Amino acid sequence: MTQTVQAEIPDQLFNQAQTLVHQGWAGSFQEIVNDALRRYLESHQEALTEAFIKDDVQWGLHGDD
Amino acid sequence: MATTKVALVVADAGPLIHLDELAALDVLSDYAAILVPEAVWQEVERHRPNALLHPAVNLVRQSIVSASPQVNAVATLYTLHSGEREALALCLQHDIALMLTDDTAARLAAKNLNITTHGTLGLLIRAVRKQTRSPAEVVALLAAIPQQSTLHIRPSLLEDVITQVKAEWMTGDE
Repeated sequence: MTQTVQAEIPDQLFNQAQTLVHQGWAGSFQEIVNDALRRYLESHQEALTEAFIKDDVQWGLHGDD
Repeated sequence: MATTKVALVVADAGPLIHLDELAALDVLSDYAAILVPEAVWQEVERHRPNALLHPAVNLVRQSIVSASPQVNAVATLYTLHSGEREALALCLQHDIALMLTDDTAARLAAKNLNITTHGTLGLLIRAVRKQTRSPAEVVALLAAIPQQSTLHIRPSLLEDVITQVKAEWMTGDE
């Protein structure tokens, strides 16, 4: 199942992505968008963000600097 | 009590922008210098130029540093922006152990490089410990995050943080 979204993308990013597709480094613009989104979600998992915030709070409360 | 400014830190754009949005940049005033890489400087200048002008905060613009293979590797792995990449490179170049950032991917990458990171929430809470803000002021700033800043945090987690700060530092009459 897929969803259709409408998004504004800066010209520079769009052109860079199109160049990759035209040169054969990516199958399609769609593929690049999906991969970029997947990578972002992998590196911004909620559990990680929450762990960093809790670490921040402990540092704020009890840090030694 | 006299204080000595000794610490050097490197800043990513997030904390500078978010603290300025909250009118709380002064919580950074006890750092001797905050090194700001060129890409971060330009990002802040574009989104929140006043954040670069606080008289009590010593922001030092740093020209672009060439990233080491180590930094390039983690930056690619975590798809970091140029500012985050430059901030990590600057930490390594100057042997600076603390980077200020709110970005989870940048924090992960820093961890890989043995660089400690802290963000806006930690800096706000630390201000009580450093006696530059009262507990009540910091609680008010934390509560204002959803309305006054572009820092996104799950409301229930923010509520937990506020409860923790109150329990630690605020008596019933504050």
